[in-house]
Amino acid sequence: MDLSFLQALERERVLEVLQRDKQLRIIEEDRIRRMKYDLQELRRKGAKSFTRQYGERTCARCQRPLGKFWNSGAVCRGCSHRICSRCRVGVGAAEWKCTVCHAYREVKIRSGEWFLEQRALKFAVTTDKFETVGEKLLKTYNVLSHISVVPPTPPPHMEFRFLSRSGDLKYSKPFNKSMEDLMVPAVVQLKKISTSQTDLLRVDDGRRNSSFSTQKSLSDTDINKSKLLFKVPSLPNLFKKNKDSDHEGSSTGAEEETSGGSEYSGGQRGSISSLFENVSISGELELALNYNSKSSCLEITVSACRNLTYGNAKKKKCHPFVKLCVLPEKSGKMKTAVKRYTTDPVFNEVLKYHIERPLLFGKRLQASVWHSGTLKRKVFLGEVLIPLDGWRFEDKIAQRFNWYPLCPKTESPEEGAVEQD
Amino acid sequence: MTDGDYDYLIKLLALGDSGVGKTTFLYRYTDNKFNPKFITTVGIDFREKRVVYTQTNPNGTTTGKTFKVHLQLWDTAGQERFRSLTTAFFRDAMGFLLMFDLTSQQSFLNVRNWMSQLQANAYCENPDIVLVGNKADLADQREVQEKQAKELADKYGIPYFETSAATGAEVDKSVITLLDLVMKRMEQCVDKPPADSANGNGATKLTDSQSSEKKCAC
Repeated sequence: MDLSFLQALERERVLEVLQRDKQLRIIEEDRIRRMKYDLQELRRKGAKSFTRQYGERTCARCQRPLGKFWNSGAVCRGCSHRICSRCRVGVGAAEWKCTVCHAYREVKIRSGEWFLEQRALKFAVTTDKFETVGEKLLKTYNVLSHISVVPPTPPPHMEFRFLSRSGDLKYSKPFNKSMEDLMVPAVVQLKKISTSQTDLLRVDDGRRNSSFSTQKSLSDTDINKSKLLFKVPSLPNLFKKNKDSDHEGSSTGAEEETSGGSEYSGGQRGSISSLFENVSISGELELALNYNSKSSCLEITVSACRNLTYGNAKKKKCHPFVKLCVLPEKSGKMKTAVKRYTTDPVFNEVLKYHIERPLLFGKRLQASVWHSGTLKRKVFLGEVLIPLDGWRFEDKIAQRFNWYPLCPKTESPEEGAVEQD
Repeated sequence: MTDGDYDYLIKLLALGDSGVGKTTFLYRYTDNKFNPKFITTVGIDFREKRVVYTQTNPNGTTTGKTFKVHLQLWDTAGQERFRSLTTAFFRDAMGFLLMFDLTSQQSFLNVRNWMSQLQANAYCENPDIVLVGNKADLADQREVQEKQAKELADKYGIPYFETSAATGAEVDKSVITLLDLVMKRMEQCVDKPPADSANGNGATKLTDSQSSEKKCAC
């Protein structure tokens, strides 16, 4: 498809229309991303923690115990999990779905994923299934335009990581076994591993630093490539990602490699230092986000943490502080003060990051909690990743303080990965 | 007018011969105004409108649920010389307003051609289409009888409306009917029989990098 048959003026006219279309598309992509983020949060609510055995006897959504005869739950047709009567949506005894399957269906409709699916049945998808004709044309005729439009930014690294290993899992499982069954093997492996080598799986500082540098070295072409593939994370990838978050709070980085990072070798893992410096991840971080359009600043209020693990487990010591940076560039690194001898520190610090509003597109805030040990040694206590482009800064609710559960390091592929099988 | 505060983005597209009134029809629908001047559309254009959609049960009663729908209404040039461009846009639309001019027998005869263009280029073999006979207000110049058009629409199994962009008659109704068809189809698509959807869903789980393998999985 090209526009060469058009006269110059006509071409300009068409490109103007396509620019308008692009703006609408950016809003749409943003909306879809937000929707999928919400879905992820919903799944996270029912997350299993390591204190509970994964089994038939609890509702897979709310984790309430199920009885043998009374309130024994029923199997959801979507995900084949046993669900209590409270976590069902829909009418009739036969037609119900569990809350997550229901939300998944909704997102599929509302995001237009149904349409892309249908179209893929007819037309082979050659490049990007999200790409519209208009978009393609615009790219081909990438003329200088007075309409300034922010280009879609590369996706979070997390999705990129899942992309690379997604294939085999998808093929091996029929869908109606669903996303969650993809998780089950992970749980099994998690148990297996945690009995024997948990200590070896933990995350240490040295390795984290090395992985920072690998991320920085992502070249522009890599970013472009990933942008193409993942402008909007597709549903399945979100579910993959959720395998991580579903087990949050379990031992350490262990859930990361159980979620299937077979192609990453963890050769450098288990160094001596890791045996000493690792900690399990627990607790929460309270944050509030606001965008000050007068000063073009993202204002992050780091309020407090609670239930942190001891940075130094042996001596039951913890001197926590919070580090912020904006991904994917890792720009705007900021730190709070170090609070001493506490696992429930109160910071109440406002950290400001100067950035133009449109540039928040595709960015994520990484808030990590660290223990400041002796000899400037830092121990990772958990982190929170918050997508910034989906953030409704105008929304009063979004400005409120929120408690975010701390997660293990999810940033870099090599980390938290060991060889499987 | 655009912010992300809507539940669905639905993309519809108007097609048909040059001069049947696609642009004025859409202008009437989005702005409720009429522009009698003929300005030929250059290639492609679109208009937007935010509507509230009330969900209905299969039996026609309302479920009480309402949704905010953002409509992107693509307007295509009817002129032959833009054909390669306009048909390329067919594949991104979820529903179609196939228009002809009630005062032009030729534009009606060309409906068949447009139908085959749609079958070839739309996202699926049987997309949602509404047949629209425009310029119903020009009764004295009428060349196409309602019965004729109705028969053709029945043959294709699609709804038929006689509209007037000049008076606004049936304009809203025809678009809403199409929207309703698309909304119903979305629901059906995700609630397909398990055997079918098992493959279907499996396929969409594929990311683009594996798109070559994707075909085999279906």
